[in-house]
Amino acid sequence: MVVLFTYSCAEEQDFNQVDDLNVTPTVASSLFYLESTEEFINLATATPIFYSHTFNFDPFSEQFVADNLLEGALLYEIENTTSKPLTFSIEYLDEGGNVLDVEVFDVEPEPAPLLTLRVAYGPGGKNLDILRNTSSLRVTAQNLGDNSSTSAASEPKVILRSAAEFRFELL
Amino acid sequence: MRFGASFVFSMCFGIGILGAQNKQILYDFYEIPQSLMINPGVKTTEKWHAGIPALSGFYLQAGSSGVTVNDLFANDGIDFTTKIRERVIDGMRKRDDFSFNNKIEVFNGGFRNPNRPDDYYSFGMYEELDVIVYWPRDLAILAFEGNGGDNIGRSFDLGDLSLRGEMVSVFHFGINRKLNNTLTVGARAKIYSGIFQFQSIGNRGTFTTTLGQDNIYRTSLDVDMQLQTAGVDEITDVLEEDSSSITNLLRRRILFGGNLGLGLDAGFTYKLTPQTTITGSILDMGFIYNSKDILNYKVSGSATNEGLTVFLPEDINDLDNDLWQDLVDEIEEAIPYEENESGYISFRPVKLYGSIRYDYGQAESTYNRDCGCAVTGEEGKNNDMYRNSVGGQLFMMKRPRGIQAALTGFYQKRLGRTLALKTTYTVDKYSLSNIGLGLNLQAGPVNFYIMGDNLLAYRNVADSHYASLQFGFNIISWNDN
Repeated sequence: MVVLFTYSCAEEQDFNQVDDLNVTPTVASSLFYLESTEEFINLATATPIFYSHTFNFDPFSEQFVADNLLEGALLYEIENTTSKPLTFSIEYLDEGGNVLDVEVFDVEPEPAPLLTLRVAYGPGGKNLDILRNTSSLRVTAQNLGDNSSTSAASEPKVILRSAAEFRFELL
Repeated sequence: MRFGASFVFSMCFGIGILGAQNKQILYDFYEIPQSLMINPGVKTTEKWHAGIPALSGFYLQAGSSGVTVNDLFANDGIDFTTKIRERVIDGMRKRDDFSFNNKIEVFNGGFRNPNRPDDYYSFGMYEELDVIVYWPRDLAILAFEGNGGDNIGRSFDLGDLSLRGEMVSVFHFGINRKLNNTLTVGARAKIYSGIFQFQSIGNRGTFTTTLGQDNIYRTSLDVDMQLQTAGVDEITDVLEEDSSSITNLLRRRILFGGNLGLGLDAGFTYKLTPQTTITGSILDMGFIYNSKDILNYKVSGSATNEGLTVFLPEDINDLDNDLWQDLVDEIEEAIPYEENESGYISFRPVKLYGSIRYDYGQAESTYNRDCGCAVTGEEGKNNDMYRNSVGGQLFMMKRPRGIQAALTGFYQKRLGRTLALKTTYTVDKYSLSNIGLGLNLQAGPVNFYIMGDNLLAYRNVADSHYASLQFGFNIISWNDN
């Protein structure tokens, strides 16, 4: 027994390999969903802008994101079954209210195809600092058509969907 | 690399268990007084014994049911992240576990009742550290890959998190009684003084990201998880503030100053025929009531979200600028996290042994006195002692995720009173090649034993799934001297 313990061997090990470990999970989550009926759009007669709202949006500026975000993408989908051409804009604002970036979507009236857009951040895409410094979002929706027409679709509405897919470096 | 560094790393890596504290070599090795500790009803032959303080029983065990040190750290030129992905993330199952067990006898002794020589009393104190962490497979995949990409639609099982650990000081007193020439029974009472304990068991829940009903993704969390700790918080504080006072804290807890509990061992030995014997024992039927230095963490509830939502015209008058914080608050309200100091009961891991043994070969005749014990009264001859024994053993142990079992075949050889050897072959769900060897050396009154198993792995310890070692020194007397 003692001989076994004394003369037992092991192949050469390199424990420094731990330093080479890369753990880079991809995190996916929905961000913002806006839905409006055509009836509501028609009621907004004073101004073409039927929705505009600025709200705090801190998840991008969390310290963890700032420290570990490798790359990411924001996904947008717009579905329009109203009779009107519409424009959506999403502005990314820093703490001082300055616009860091803006995404504008022009949407055709019904029958409009599903509009999808994937905006990459990081290597090969937009600057990651846009996300890291974003403190609030301003979402604006504008009617470029009339205020009286009605789509033939049942329950005509416009829907803006958005989501994020971020890849982090944990190790 | 020599054994030492790899073995130490194996300990640190927390290697999972093969046989789970199965002391298959020591079991029914009745020449060694410590066999009483795993079967209070084992055959006893000595008049008295006294363990060398702190050296009478040392046990260390570690193993891996999943990967080995060599699987990960061999200098083979393969990218380390690739090895982790293929051999750990993809290769390990949720029933794989990492564990570590260490037991050190502080003192151990025993004596035969002079007025009732069929009774043998034993007593002592030992420290035991036992930790088991099941491989949290889904949580590891979630951390390694995230919930995005190919994992959209996958439900991560949060119940994969299961762990338990404790360090206890055990004071025990046992009675072993030979009822007749065929049956010996025994029982041992234990008082546990918990030094620390933690457990996160019985967790359940799922984390799922699917395509959304309204938005692009829907994230659902349904969780009921908790971590209970006793004695950990104060130790952490002491280590952070004044590590020199940790000795006083541990000394106090070792000597009944910790969370207290009670336990019981029981066992028997029964001779079916003069040469065929069956044995059985059940150990650590007990509990500790944890009421001191408690800090528990609990999170429970369920929530589903698809991000910030605005429905027009319903939400047109909602001018709140803190939509995101409102969402966070809503989720935190649905899945509250709390800390509390409620006491709890922790159960000791119950262990069960059984065996059948067939003795053969020339009976020993070296006992020249009737010590009134398991040795027969026939002067000058001990009919109970045979040169050879073969048999089989069964071991079962209750763990957080169910019963772990092992089956052992053994052969034992006695060379006079001086030397006894026992070799074992153990199979369980993790290994089909676990060969162990134990040696008991009696030099006059001085007894020394040493045991190790999975000996085939010593050719490359780093590639071993398991290693255990136990040894000890005792003074044994068979007569009045």
